[in-house]
Amino acid sequence: MTQRSPAARPAPGRQQLSREFIARHQRARIIAALSEEIATRGYRAVTVADIVRRAGIARNTFYENFSSKEQCFLATQDYAVEEALRRVVAAATEVESWQARVRAGIAAFLEYVAGEPALARTCIVEALSAGPAALARYEESLQAFLPLFRIGRTVSPHGDALPATLEETITGGIFWIVYQRIVLGEAERVEGLLPELVEFALTPYIGAEAAKRASA
Amino acid sequence: MALDPADISTETGAEYPPELSRLPPGRHGLPREFVVHNQRERLIAGLAEAVAEHGYAGTTIAHITGHAAVSRRTFYEHFSSKDECFVAAYDTVMEQLRERVAAAFDAEEDWAHAVRAGIGAMLEFLAAEPNLARLCMVEALVAGPVVVERYDAAIQSLVPYFKAGRKGRSKQVLSRLSPTTEEALVGGMVSLISRRILAGKTAELPALQSDLVEFTLTPYIGIADAAELAREGQAA
Repeated sequence: MTQRSPAARPAPGRQQLSREFIARHQRARIIAALSEEIATRGYRAVTVADIVRRAGIARNTFYENFSSKEQCFLATQDYAVEEALRRVVAAATEVESWQARVRAGIAAFLEYVAGEPALARTCIVEALSAGPAALARYEESLQAFLPLFRIGRTVSPHGDALPATLEETITGGIFWIVYQRIVLGEAERVEGLLPELVEFALTPYIGAEAAKRASA
Repeated sequence: MALDPADISTETGAEYPPELSRLPPGRHGLPREFVVHNQRERLIAGLAEAVAEHGYAGTTIAHITGHAAVSRRTFYEHFSSKDECFVAAYDTVMEQLRERVAAAFDAEEDWAHAVRAGIGAMLEFLAAEPNLARLCMVEALVAGPVVVERYDAAIQSLVPYFKAGRKGRSKQVLSRLSPTTEEALVGGMVSLISRRILAGKTAELPALQSDLVEFTLTPYIGIADAAELAREGQAA
């Protein structure tokens, strides 16, 4: 079954589903509920009671899956980051050139953010203020994007002379732009940023002119 | 809020608040305004130290007053809460940082050198004040919506420094810049700085100057010129 949102409810008549499926499904529902609650009231204000209510589950069920709100938050991050990366990698490997891969990867990322604004807010905005463990995971998720850009060194005439931190600043810049759009409540419209973000990412490797051509 | 009995016992009967006794001898004739100002600055410095040690969430009023060597009562004469003290600390640090960056930027004749000087000044300031660096670049995000809004605005306030680089450029160059170029450059720069602070590498920030100069100048003057200017700056 394709599961676009972790909140998808089971179709009626599916009562004989395996325990494992139900457990996995409950977890997904709790994760979706947490991110929706966060989008409404901010992480700090969300309580386990809010999550339980929105997910339509018993409090016990929550605690069978997670020991705390914090742990639930970390699981949400893990879920969304893994899903975003899966999509980015899948999109990037469908095309040949590095420039096209960067474009496809950023497009997939923006599409995911636009399609899952609550999860995006959780992982890109709230993760920064949700405590050290959440922040560490956020850092790891940034790290995961670096290889996509780093290949550009083999394409660039400047190669290894490029700044050692270039991939970090590019990823950080893209995340900052997306962060701001989410804060402004414009997550659904981030896909319109594709050409400029691709240009931004390619320019340091191949120059502004070639980047402009590749981003169009 | 319960008063700490220790505070009461040290304060009652004393002509001056206890922190005054820690000032060098002969300063007791200082005007009250100075003392008050001094207390406030000490509380702000105390908060920065406490936050560096315990993180924002773990910091208590007792930690702050402990580092500042002032009484709990004095704290509440200046601030109503930890949050309020943090906002004051944040504003103070950002004001200093802004002044340094502006002074370095304004001292240069041409824009590219000014950007290089501004970035250098920012990195030097943060490296020299690791507690303040952590406070304004990492802990600010944890300190509630009021500070987060200020943090976002502070980052955005760097945008005009880069926007100034558009002036006098050829149509060709301008056509390649997008409306969000400067925001992305600033965001990338700040993100890198924050990551290094978070990793405990605050002292090494000045070494990033060359990378950041090349990264931010490239869209305006091209990779080769940006790289040269960056290298020559790091050597200087």
